[in-house]
Amino acid sequence: MANWVPLWLHRLSSPQTFYRFAGAVRPWALGLALVLGAVALYGGLFLAPADYQQGDAYRIIFIHVPSAWMSLFIYGVMTVSAFIGLVWRIKLAETVAMESAPIGAAFTLITLVTGSLWGKPMWGTWWTWDARLTSELVLLFIYLGVIGLYHAFEDRRQGARTASFLALIGAVNVPIVHFSVNWWNTLHQGATIRLLGPSHMDSSMIWPLLLMMVATKCYYVASLFARVRADLIAAESGKAWVRDLALGTQERA
Amino acid sequence: MSESLAMGHYGFYVWTAFAVFFIVLLIDSLAPVARRRRNLRDLRARLVRQENRRRPGTPPSNESHP
Amino acid sequence: MRPGSTSSACAALLHRDLLLAWRRRGDIAMPVLYALIVGTLFPFAIGPDPALLARIASGVVFVTVLLSILLSLDGLFRGDIEDGSMEQLMLAPQPLALLVGMKILAHWITAALPLIVVAPMLASMLRFPASAMPVLVLALLLSTPLLSLLGAVLVALAGGARRSGMLLALMLLPLCVPVVIFAAGAVSAAQQGLPWAAPMAWLGAGLAMAVVLGPLACAAALRIAMDT
Repeated sequence: MANWVPLWLHRLSSPQTFYRFAGAVRPWALGLALVLGAVALYGGLFLAPADYQQGDAYRIIFIHVPSAWMSLFIYGVMTVSAFIGLVWRIKLAETVAMESAPIGAAFTLITLVTGSLWGKPMWGTWWTWDARLTSELVLLFIYLGVIGLYHAFEDRRQGARTASFLALIGAVNVPIVHFSVNWWNTLHQGATIRLLGPSHMDSSMIWPLLLMMVATKCYYVASLFARVRADLIAAESGKAWVRDLALGTQERA
Repeated sequence: MSESLAMGHYGFYVWTAFAVFFIVLLIDSLAPVARRRRNLRDLRARLVRQENRRRPGTPPSNESHP
Repeated sequence: MRPGSTSSACAALLHRDLLLAWRRRGDIAMPVLYALIVGTLFPFAIGPDPALLARIASGVVFVTVLLSILLSLDGLFRGDIEDGSMEQLMLAPQPLALLVGMKILAHWITAALPLIVVAPMLASMLRFPASAMPVLVLALLLSTPLLSLLGAVLVALAGGARRSGMLLALMLLPLCVPVVIFAAGAVSAAQQGLPWAAPMAWLGAGLAMAVVLGPLACAAALRIAMDT
């Protein structure tokens, strides 16, 4: 059937195998995320010098920018797996798409909150109707719409497929929103505040940022796998392997 | 050390941002663990109930494997 | 029995939907009344200052129209899904996208067209200058079909859900941001005597795209949502 898919990937898409695989990978991903995150934040908070323009407030960049990247990256993952799930009807892809949405929403929320915490001392306001901020807010709403639609169905399979379709529509829409808000901003000149880009970034500021980016990716993998595991148990509760698992943990407890 | 913890005058903003980051991610990472545990517990309870229905009179015990 | 031609099927479906809407004329009046009442609340909320009202009039009109359309969208496919005629449409030899497109057209005629008719009145109540009124109507003519098409896709998705009212708002409103921006942008540009062709052209481009893709996406969404 799928001879272009490598064999191991094909085997991995069976729920039981993926459950074991995810369980094996998750602690490593989480550990890596914690170690890399600790090193990156130490580098960012204590080793990197203060910015000559923004003082120490710029240090929010080490969580703000990786979170913003993750909010878009996770939306990308969600879109791709939603597409795969809809076209090839692979249950695991649907699960990955649906379980990515809460993580993406969490990172989007972090981006918005840390952004406004950064904006307050820098621009003197918690919120400005800038294209990037507004698109991020719309992205959060779309994430919430996907999550809400998924949970509005009795049948999780049907909910996942419908919400996957919404994710695809949102993927088309987000660039249009960004473009239109940009256009709107040029119309209302008064509202624009020049965003302070990191004017010149020292290498001692760059490496914690890149490291933090890797750490958040690892965290995403860990969190996603934990969610998929929880979801698989609920979805496959009639299967023998889940029953054995349930009774097995009982014996251990 | 306390000087660098104060982050110039921006300590409040920087540390609040980091607190938000960690609290949100902590909630995000604990939720699925709790959900998995709850799912397993529910399933276990259901299996025990099924087992009892099949053999009435026997108390629920660990040996009641199907 | 030979299946009828596609065009006659479309015409029949349009006729049926319009007839059904006409039999329940009260339902058509509801969104209009809603828009008028919401519109009149604004002067009470922010004060009767004509300059201020004129400044926000176009925005109020667009948001009000958007909310009224949202209100009327909820029942777009519900009757058909409940009485099984949606299954008949899906099994029909004619392409589902075209048939769904007809249903959306019928919805636009019954729900959006009355709103466009009362919108100038609502706008002038809010001291909107009469000179910019044609631009307002044109922007409404371009943006309401867009909202209908976009909303229909989401209604199709939410059709099988347990509760869809608030959910529909949560899904639709973020997707409507570009429509509101360009429509209100064109009108406020016209109001200030600035050129308004560019945003209007973007709206038109969006509408052209939505007319082609909307029914297709709506048909796909219905197939997903009805697939049990």
